[in-house]
Amino acid sequence: MTRVAAPRRKRWPLAVLAVIGIGMILAPVAFGMFSKAPDGASMMTSFTPFMTSHRLDGFQADMRDVGNAVTQGQEAIRETDRTSAGARTLARVAPQFHTFAREWVAVNSDMGGMLVKIQANLPDYQAMAALPSFRLFPWFFVIPGVILLILAAVGLARAAAWRSLRWVAVVLGVALVVAPVAIQLFSRAPKGAQMMSTFKTIETHHHLRRIQSYFSEMAVGQGLVQLQLLPALRHADVSAAEIHGRYPALNTLDANWVHILNDMTPMIAAMSNNIGNYQAISSLPSFRLFPWFFLLPGLIVIVLALVGGTRRRRGAADPGRPNVLNPVNQGVT
Amino acid sequence: MTNRLKLRLIAAIVTAVVPIVAAAPALAAQELNGVFHIGPGSYIRMGTPGGGFFDNPYSKAANKSYTTILSGVGGGIRSGVAQNAPSPAFDKHGNSRANSIITPTDFTGILFGVITTEAPSFSLSGDTITGHLRHLEAQWNKQTFVQGNTVYGTYNARTHHYTLAWHTEVHGGPFDGYTGYWKLTGTFTPY
Repeated sequence: MTRVAAPRRKRWPLAVLAVIGIGMILAPVAFGMFSKAPDGASMMTSFTPFMTSHRLDGFQADMRDVGNAVTQGQEAIRETDRTSAGARTLARVAPQFHTFAREWVAVNSDMGGMLVKIQANLPDYQAMAALPSFRLFPWFFVIPGVILLILAAVGLARAAAWRSLRWVAVVLGVALVVAPVAIQLFSRAPKGAQMMSTFKTIETHHHLRRIQSYFSEMAVGQGLVQLQLLPALRHADVSAAEIHGRYPALNTLDANWVHILNDMTPMIAAMSNNIGNYQAISSLPSFRLFPWFFLLPGLIVIVLALVGGTRRRRGAADPGRPNVLNPVNQGVT
Repeated sequence: MTNRLKLRLIAAIVTAVVPIVAAAPALAAQELNGVFHIGPGSYIRMGTPGGGFFDNPYSKAANKSYTTILSGVGGGIRSGVAQNAPSPAFDKHGNSRANSIITPTDFTGILFGVITTEAPSFSLSGDTITGHLRHLEAQWNKQTFVQGNTVYGTYNARTHHYTLAWHTEVHGGPFDGYTGYWKLTGTFTPY
């Protein structure tokens, strides 16, 4: 009598599913996502008030206000300096203002360039902001991972159950494939990577120190205009009406200065307060890879769930039952 | 050692120790409860992270890195009392409305004020003041900067003149990495 063994179930696909599940659970831990993702969420929230066209245009207008005042201040000094009375009156303020004007060239180039860069990246920021909160991202790995691990474990322990559970695994796999498409991760994640790349040179202590020094130089410049240049011009018999008519930017800077301070210092504060957050999130794998972190496991899960488990050969014993003697062959040997 | 020598030694020790014991109460630290009025000569300087100081064009001092300050309506820093920010703490331009400790003072075009969120305490040992002023904050442009610390200074019990000085680094915000150097001087009025 030959004892016909039941066809061996393919157990390796279930084992691989379990490994994938464990991998998905451990990946966020390995990447430190549980601490870094909330930092990223904080950074996005901090930037929200500033990352609008209106606000970014406002910063550009602030820079223009200062730049125009520098230009017209130099004109005013040049024109008033022609008379000996004017030259005498401006003797003290003129060199200081020229120094400020020279510094402004660098400030405008660097800080203005930064604002242009940020503005150009507004669509990238908006794409990132439209994604689900970063705080949820670790769970997007852990929850499917846990489900997958449970399914694989049950499948390995009870083959009969796997026949129905495999379809749950297939659905989970499909969900992993569909999710990045549904939240437009394929288009948004590269934009996020682009945004992170742009901020790489902005969100540093070195750059912050430069911006802080520019702020200081702008404050000194505004003080020069308000407290020294305008009084000196008036003292040199340039009337308020003439100043208003010929050098309006000087008065505009004065009028808008508090608004400029109100505008810029919170932006510098946001830059300063998010250097750590930026560094945390930039140490994660590139955002470009994130869609694939869902898509690839999803596809593998689908294939393995379909391949693995209960495929029976014709005439084979039910693997879910105890082995029995094959009655056809009974007694032949 | 002869008895005479022993007696001389004891006498010498007594002579040396008695004045110290008698003076001990005076040497022990005593609490200073009252108002530290902030008078002329008081200032704050903002040290920049790279060295040097932030110039405040609106400072009344000749050297614009010194922003001079004077007592507010509360008379100055009051020991045992938290001089909190009013509500709202700022006007619509970001000027601080906290006017108890110092008169709100122009810093780059916007007024800053000073508050204490917890009651400070001060003690005097000899002529040295030690103050627990950790919860002092500067408010400017709708932002708050922790500037408190353990502070040290001197006090003349006869003239009631005091001086306190300390420095505190700013963490976070637009002035991250800057250091506020404070000097307060004036008279102390006990409660």
